[in-house]
Amino acid sequence: MLSSLLTAETIQIGHADKISWSDAIRKAAEPLLSTGKIKESYIKAMISLVEENGPYINIGPNIALAHARPENGVKKMGMSLLKVDSAINLVNKDHPIKLFFVLAAVDNTKHLQALKELTTLLGNPDIVKRIEKASSVSEIVREIKEDDEK
Amino acid sequence: MKIAAVCQSGLGSSFMVQMNIENVLKEENVDASDIEITHFDTGGLNEQSADYFFLGSDLADQASGLPKDRVYLLKSLIDKEELRGKVNDILDKENIQHS
Repeated sequence: MLSSLLTAETIQIGHADKISWSDAIRKAAEPLLSTGKIKESYIKAMISLVEENGPYINIGPNIALAHARPENGVKKMGMSLLKVDSAINLVNKDHPIKLFFVLAAVDNTKHLQALKELTTLLGNPDIVKRIEKASSVSEIVREIKEDDEK
Repeated sequence: MKIAAVCQSGLGSSFMVQMNIENVLKEENVDASDIEITHFDTGGLNEQSADYFFLGSDLADQASGLPKDRVYLLKSLIDKEELRGKVNDILDKENIQHS
């Protein structure tokens, strides 16, 4: 399931220079916005949640999982990923991020399966390292697919 | 016994932590029939809502009103080994056998 959400269309690789963490979240969410899965309001909600509550979306080393609530503007479940070449500080320097995941959940149990698979994937430090080092989107797609098929 | 994973939205990270707790219990060969694991947002944080609480260390302030020995703060939400140590701590406190 994860590999049907994180695809060549929803994964991006970007340069970290001169972009802020909020720009990174915005850019990471772009594929979900352009395909109508989320509304602009969802991006704003994800950013303001961090502004209000701090960098709690930093779920593991170099990894952020940006998300807000379904009622903030999710139309269809989706997930996307932006990988940046060097770490961007999420709010402060204690929270450097290279992988910005965006989760758009709808209020049912469907997103739980996708999250479960993401948890398994991120729980494997070898795969995370390979994704961090990947130089192309297709490499990342392949990593996720291989893990999905296991 | 009820263990709760808590995050700001109650949707994403708390569910990830819940799954990892479930995985750890399985790996530790714990009879989990009397252990309920749940996830919710920080709005649900109160002494009655669970026996033990797991949350990211960034949310420490929001749990400051709870008894310290029932709150576990996680540095990383996806590091299973950090979680394992803390889950085992609960199991030891509760005299629940694990491997």
